[in-house]
Amino acid sequence: MRVVNHPFLPAIDEPDITIYVDGKPIPAKSGEPIAAALLAAGIRVCRKTAKKGRPRGIFCGIGRCTDCVMTVDGVPNVRTCVTPVKPNMMVETQNGLGSWVDAK
Amino acid sequence: MDEVFVCRCEEVTQEELQKAIADGAVTMNELKRWTRAGMGLCQGKGCSRLVMNILAKSTGQSPADVKPAHYRNPVRPMPINSMIKEEE
Repeated sequence: MRVVNHPFLPAIDEPDITIYVDGKPIPAKSGEPIAAALLAAGIRVCRKTAKKGRPRGIFCGIGRCTDCVMTVDGVPNVRTCVTPVKPNMMVETQNGLGSWVDAK
Repeated sequence: MDEVFVCRCEEVTQEELQKAIADGAVTMNELKRWTRAGMGLCQGKGCSRLVMNILAKSTGQSPADVKPAHYRNPVRPMPINSMIKEEE
């Protein structure tokens, strides 16, 4: 779900790095937010809510609503829509508020 | 689906808020402590305006007259160790 041919912006490069989402390798472009790489890979669920276990994904996309928080490299509640990807990042779907212990 | 989630972080529905108002909550602070709306990760960035409107409508005030709930620092979620100065 990437905009490859934008009417104004120049053409975008191919994905050049790999991140791991729940252990699965996903291609990503350096500099893009984690959430963008997830969306391009068709992953829309970032976390499950604490009380009812319902799926949540990108909502505001600007780092305010915290609906897209995931456990990134062992740190829970990372806002994936405003956190740039890094090579070999380990991203985990988060349950509720997550925990530091569960993250490997 | 008749559930309307007002506070997305704490999963508080419109029904719960209206019940709290019917039970006697009259200020934003009371609603917040009663239902936890606005006490989740985003600290009311998503829902405080909606809660304010629900409170205003239910109590017959103008939304401009509803006093916002207390805001506590930090305004963005951050790890506590980012506030600690490292010793040499």
